[in-house]
Amino acid sequence: MARFRDSYSGYLERQAELIAVGPDGLEQFQRYWEREKLPFIGLPDPDHTVAKLYRQEVDLLKFGRMPLNCIVDIEGRIRYIHYSANRMDYPDTEIFFNVIDELNAASK
Amino acid sequence: MNSLLLQNGELAPDFTLIDMHGDPVQLSSYRGKKTIVLSFLRGFI
Repeated sequence: MARFRDSYSGYLERQAELIAVGPDGLEQFQRYWEREKLPFIGLPDPDHTVAKLYRQEVDLLKFGRMPLNCIVDIEGRIRYIHYSANRMDYPDTEIFFNVIDELNAASK
Repeated sequence: MNSLLLQNGELAPDFTLIDMHGDPVQLSSYRGKKTIVLSFLRGFI
């Protein structure tokens, strides 16, 4: 999450918005967002409704919920999606920026 | 790759969740406006 915070201006420059969905409840979200000073949208999904809709993978034997990141274009289509193989498997910010730059270039 | 997983080119499933200020956030409300990076977290604990 620190990674998103520190690169947030790069997303804004690209006219993109960041939305983080998590399994924690409202109070945990509020505490975490305040402590980490996160500037983007955080959405509690304690019933996992949206996580299930997006097929976020859960490995109960190993690490629990696996990160899932996707980029949705201006028409609402998925243009990049990465289901992490483990908790440390996280795409570089540059990958996100490159995808958004390509989408922006294509829509001009 | 599990064929049940979402794929590039699919319409992103729409949803509405309530943000930390009590306001609804609907994914499709960004259509025609912004590219969205959607990140599903593991949880804080």
